[in-house]
Amino acid sequence: MIRVPLGNRQFNVMAARLTLLQATWNYERQQGLGWAWSIEPALERIYPDPAVRRERLAQHTAYFNTQPTLASVALGAVARLEEQAAQDGAADPALIPRMKSLLGSSLAALGDRLFWFTLRPFAACLGIALVLLGHTWGAVALWLAYNVVHLTVRWLGVRWGYADGPAVASGPLRSRLEALIGTFGRAGALLVGVIMACLMVPAGEPRSATFQLLLAGGLALGLACSQRARPSPTEWALGIGAVALMLGWWR
Amino acid sequence: MIQGAVVTVLLGGIAALDATPVAQTLLSQPLVMATLLGLVWGQWVVALKVGVVLQVFAAGTLPVGARTPEDYASGGVVGVGVAALLASLSPFAVAQDACVMLGSVIGMIAAGLGVPLVKWQRRRHEALSRWCETALRQGDASALGRAHGAAVVLAFGVGVLYCAAFLAVSAQLLPPLVAHRSLKLARAWEVAQPVWLGLGLAHLLNAFVQRRFMRAALFGLGLVVGWVLLVVGR
Repeated sequence: MIRVPLGNRQFNVMAARLTLLQATWNYERQQGLGWAWSIEPALERIYPDPAVRRERLAQHTAYFNTQPTLASVALGAVARLEEQAAQDGAADPALIPRMKSLLGSSLAALGDRLFWFTLRPFAACLGIALVLLGHTWGAVALWLAYNVVHLTVRWLGVRWGYADGPAVASGPLRSRLEALIGTFGRAGALLVGVIMACLMVPAGEPRSATFQLLLAGGLALGLACSQRARPSPTEWALGIGAVALMLGWWR
Repeated sequence: MIQGAVVTVLLGGIAALDATPVAQTLLSQPLVMATLLGLVWGQWVVALKVGVVLQVFAAGTLPVGARTPEDYASGGVVGVGVAALLASLSPFAVAQDACVMLGSVIGMIAAGLGVPLVKWQRRRHEALSRWCETALRQGDASALGRAHGAAVVLAFGVGVLYCAAFLAVSAQLLPPLVAHRSLKLARAWEVAQPVWLGLGLAHLLNAFVQRRFMRAALFGLGLVVGWVLLVVGR
């Protein structure tokens, strides 16, 4: 049934299509449609029969959700399973949705911690610190710091997933990404300290006592309420903005 | 001014695309958009002041699971765009802090009001998803591509219109406020800026430290070393 194994061309097209993984995100199937769009080049290669291919593609539009960058790894692993199922029956097609779901949740747990909880705040802190130090290109540093990891994983992840199959989520890749989480976490904590210093003594001149007290007050308030989901930081900020406007008006 | 407004609105569409539907490269982050808009409007200081405040909050706003977080992609463009627009209309440098204050507040409001708009798009995608699956089963191989094209166009259009609406309303209502109440607004900025930065940084610090002593010590080290280097290197 199968023509030839997947190659670089398919991996590249799948990685490129993954950029639209969340374009059609919805509450019923979440990333399902984007997933089907991304895996289509692999299915086209694996299943020459259009009727079989159509059926497989329709099945891939089912519910799926994971962290969007690490979805590349799941995509490669599932493409490998599809290939095995079509080639020699080494994988049961009925098991593919289950494997997909397991990979999705396992990679989401890892990806959320790496990309959303650590790398994105780290990149933001790097950009902010540079801007506060007087470099207008802080935004470029922010963008580069994030995308060196993000685009590398998105581009090469399909190949990593294909090479290791479903075992990729528990192999050396996990250890490497866990190490990255630790590194960015420590570097981020250090950077927040540097940002605080930049705010308190910009260009070596100490800010007024009022500014420093208000900054410390904001920090204390933030630490006290960071364990609660509601009110969100933005709701707190709007409340603070309203109070500041009132004080500014009537002072 | 017209040129600046048009570019701001187009950047609103691009930010709306980058935030979730396309690529997620952080091009939509407020600091990145602030740098671009500072260049467009020639208002670096104003743009970066608003950008830093909104960035601190955007970095701690996480799109985890099915949660719809505040839309700081549009909020960043709207906040910085409004501040830069007001600053370009005001001939006095002293009014800059008033523009920054208004831009920051409008940016946060836009980020909050953007949530129902994002949810609305996601509900529209449900119908798109059902249509696409039916078309696929009937043999229409192009359905997936067309569905994605439609979603991208919708996101860009919504982003553009949302920014345009905020910019238009702000351009009508806020210039008199800056002209006549700039001192009061500047005083509000003096109070709000440090509290906002402290609040936002606390959330980031909490995300990094996670009750680990070593990381808390690194925060202290960064603070002390940064302080000493800034004072000595003055």
